[in-house]
Amino acid sequence: MEAGNERELVERCRRGDEGAFQELVDRYKDLVFALIARTVQDRSRAEDLAQDVFLRVHRGLPYFRGEARLSTWIYRIVANVCVYDQGRPAPPLSLDDERMRTRALAASDRQFGDLELRDRLEKAIARLPSNYRLVVAAHYLEGVQYEDLAEALALPLGTVKTQLHRAKQQLRRMLETDLK
Amino acid sequence: MFCDEALDAVEAIAAGDVTPDGRVAEHLTTCPNCAAALVSARALERMLRVRSIPKPPAQFTTRTLARVRRARWRSEQFLDVGFNVAIAAVVLTVIAGVWILLNRSGLIAVSNDVVDLFSSSLVAFARRVGPSLPLYAAATALLATALGIWWWAERDASY
Repeated sequence: MEAGNERELVERCRRGDEGAFQELVDRYKDLVFALIARTVQDRSRAEDLAQDVFLRVHRGLPYFRGEARLSTWIYRIVANVCVYDQGRPAPPLSLDDERMRTRALAASDRQFGDLELRDRLEKAIARLPSNYRLVVAAHYLEGVQYEDLAEALALPLGTVKTQLHRAKQQLRRMLETDLK
Repeated sequence: MFCDEALDAVEAIAAGDVTPDGRVAEHLTTCPNCAAALVSARALERMLRVRSIPKPPAQFTTRTLARVRRARWRSEQFLDVGFNVAIAAVVLTVIAGVWILLNRSGLIAVSNDVVDLFSSSLVAFARRVGPSLPLYAAATALLATALGIWWWAERDASY
């Protein structure tokens, strides 16, 4: 989105133009929802949190100075909302039972085995610390710039890369047997 | 010790961020543990790249805008209540101030006479106005209806 268009959209929202705010929601909802749904892994909770993000955007627009890009500011709100939500317990993972069941099914039906593996990946991601989850969610999502993410998390680019590296290391260790 | 170095690099190698140099490349072909870790890291990288992208529900925008409107309405209500409470507090303070002033200056006795005078005038006024009371009641009802319609129209006028 061009800077001029962005400023104009923000100005229209500030004047109370509901159409402009609807345009803003339509423009960013896919990214915001995908980021949150990948981080919290519960669709109804993700929708609730994504709405929270836009509510905060609406409240914060009068104070948005335009020093950062609108998308960066929105990612920062997403990061805050996800970190605030981290108190919720992660889904339980009983490693031994599920691993044996997954292996047995994978031998008889590879497609179903892949589904199981994807499910295990999601559960493993759910066990990561929230900042790692967000970095993993955003890095593999088209449209989120690495630099935006670093700015949104108020972290140096190198730190974000290190967090991603550590997150992947942890995931590999959690899923080691399944991935071989 | 060298395994640690190689294991630390497998994620970056799997992501294509770095190309293993001669020493690490050689180690990865000779050490079964590190080679297996690289295989796992590559499999993980593939899975993360094809991870599904969750889409928001069809009614997401409508529901979000409704929630924004509700929150806005609530905050306006809160502001209105706060304003009314502040005005009431100011009025009560003024009344209390005047009463204290009258008490201390001895004017309360005079004010009692004024109250008596005012009461008798009020009674006389009520006797005169009594017969026209239904007319005044109808006019008040008409005014209240007009104000009600105006409030109802204003309520939904803007978001």
